[in-house]
Amino acid sequence: MQYPHIFTPGRIGTLVTTNRIKYAATETNFPFGDGFVSDREVAYMEAQAQGGAGIVTTQGAYMDERGEGKGFKGMMAAYDDRFIPGLSRIAEVIKKNGALSCFQLLHCGREGGVDLDYCLMPSVVPQKLSYFKPPREISVSQIRQSVIDHVRAARRAVDAGFDMIEISGIVGYLLSTFISRYTNKRQDGYGGNIRSRCRLMVEVLGAVKAEVGKNVPVGIRLCGLELLDDRGGNTLEESLESFRIAEEAGADYLSVTIGWHESSVPVITRDVPMGHWLWVAGKVKEAAKVPVMMAFRQFTPDVPEEAIASGTIDFWEACRPMIADPGLPRKIAEKKESEIIPCIACNLCFSRLYFHQPLMCSVRPTLGHEGETSWGYRGFAPAGRKKKVIVVGGGPAGLQCAAVAAQRGHKVTLWEKSAHVGGALLLASQVDEGAEELLRPVRYLEDACLKAGVELRTGYAATSEALAGEEADAIVITSGATESIPPGAGALPVFSPGNIIAGGITPSGNILILGGDGVALGVAVFLLRKGGAFNLFIVEEGAKLGRDVNPFYLWGYMRRLKEGKATLLRGCRLLAIDGTRARVSGAKGETILDVNAIVAAQRKPADWWSGALQGSKKEIYVAGDAKRPRRLNNAIHDGFRVGITI
Amino acid sequence: MLPVIDKTACTGCGACIEVCPPRALVLRDECACVEDEFCEECGFCAAECPVSAIAIPFPTLAGSV
Repeated sequence: MQYPHIFTPGRIGTLVTTNRIKYAATETNFPFGDGFVSDREVAYMEAQAQGGAGIVTTQGAYMDERGEGKGFKGMMAAYDDRFIPGLSRIAEVIKKNGALSCFQLLHCGREGGVDLDYCLMPSVVPQKLSYFKPPREISVSQIRQSVIDHVRAARRAVDAGFDMIEISGIVGYLLSTFISRYTNKRQDGYGGNIRSRCRLMVEVLGAVKAEVGKNVPVGIRLCGLELLDDRGGNTLEESLESFRIAEEAGADYLSVTIGWHESSVPVITRDVPMGHWLWVAGKVKEAAKVPVMMAFRQFTPDVPEEAIASGTIDFWEACRPMIADPGLPRKIAEKKESEIIPCIACNLCFSRLYFHQPLMCSVRPTLGHEGETSWGYRGFAPAGRKKKVIVVGGGPAGLQCAAVAAQRGHKVTLWEKSAHVGGALLLASQVDEGAEELLRPVRYLEDACLKAGVELRTGYAATSEALAGEEADAIVITSGATESIPPGAGALPVFSPGNIIAGGITPSGNILILGGDGVALGVAVFLLRKGGAFNLFIVEEGAKLGRDVNPFYLWGYMRRLKEGKATLLRGCRLLAIDGTRARVSGAKGETILDVNAIVAAQRKPADWWSGALQGSKKEIYVAGDAKRPRRLNNAIHDGFRVGITI
Repeated sequence: MLPVIDKTACTGCGACIEVCPPRALVLRDECACVEDEFCEECGFCAAECPVSAIAIPFPTLAGSV
């Protein structure tokens, strides 16, 4: 066995797990807006259970009818017995597949009240993030009611058939706001020193344990390191103390998390190395007798294997890696790691939840469609008619399309003009720290293509005439965007993002970057990291830079641009170039910039193919940036949808 | 879920257009319109609209039976 520690049985309270992997809880927005479990949620949880984790945790359920604990429009509810039938469907699909079923209780506290005009907190501490509701101070009677709500919801979970209970007190949710000195300024018995601030957590744990009995383990998720030093949050020692207090109160396991949603330190982005936060779990483990577990940037099994072997943690919690591929545990056990769809920490999943949309995954288009056979989560039925398909361009859209079309039985040839597949990801993977992880989906998709029998022709450029002459039933254009070169640059050198990132060119002097999307910011960040004798001017017609960059990354990019003294010209347009002088228009009129080089980072759809193929009898599809330049999730999803359509 | 735009409430200010990652929103007759084919259903537009003219309808079980 390659990962002996991960695949050793574990123990939680009175229960035994088949291995040390726990699918950690995440909201999905798949349930209905009134809290009922949907078929979509059941299918998703069934996929997680079939994936082979020893423990499968549900999304957190809110426990009050008013919805003060509800933080997401599509959050699961457990405030009434009428939810039990739906909850038992989830318990059943988990247990049927041999995993322990764990039900999470979650009052969203500072992030709650999604359908209301307020949220509840121990003290009124203003929100830093605009999408949360204005806070109200929770009264003592409301605190007592919340304990009762936890108990009743736990009872419903047990009645629904769940094996264990998890109480969540992390990132700004109710229990964490009591535990943190940042948000708890109370003068009564629920505020004060760390032990008093933990009182609500202790009361909830004790009451839930008393209700469910010793044969139903009750675990807790708490914050090990708040990263709120700039706002007067807990010290590390206080956070560690909260775990000791939870264990005293009877917690059967301790799940250690890092950061609040308001923390201004990178926690789960690619620039944080894998395994970076394990030392915090190790600190909790030093004092703990019950199992300790952690998620957070452990995307490949070598990281938790080492952590379990060294006694830092007892269980590997996988959340984002199992959103990207619920089959992760089984594929590791079967030595099929190359078949794991790799999470790239893009955090699309996360940002969607806060904008009230169902979970979506950049690298796994089947997310949320596990129960629909045409989406092929468990494999495809063969296509009615086998077709000869040519896919032009080996970027993410082309690779994903080719793999799926071939899995459906089509005879697929992929033409890639350069020596390697990967497309724009080959550039993106060089932009910032950790970006090389973006090559993982390239390797995965290339492997999937080869296993499905796609013929990969690298170094094979396409022309529309060559395509028109090919015998094929279908042609898919996934050749990427066309660079939009500004007219009239005269003698000024004009570079593409590829020239700068892959070509190694570093212009000197004043560099005008045209465009303000992720590509433009990527070039700017790349240049600033590399360094040189230049000043950057970013010219974007719109009012917002980086509209297509996930907020988790955008703030870091903007900070870098500020530190690098880049001039950001929003709402501006390049009018003309005269020699080395660029005329730029903006809201405050025109400015003249002295320019030494231009980077053309505006992109447009590919049009090279249309001439000879217009009116062709072949099926023609266009996907990814070739259709409209957008971001990675669009490329992969476009390619997938074409692949299941052909 | 696709955004639904209340055309009587939309002032045509364009704030939603500025934040749409796939550029799936356009102004037509001084009113924002969604190009469904390109919408990736991120919800940014609804959060940005200063007059709450954009809604993301969330299905309820009660409404579906």
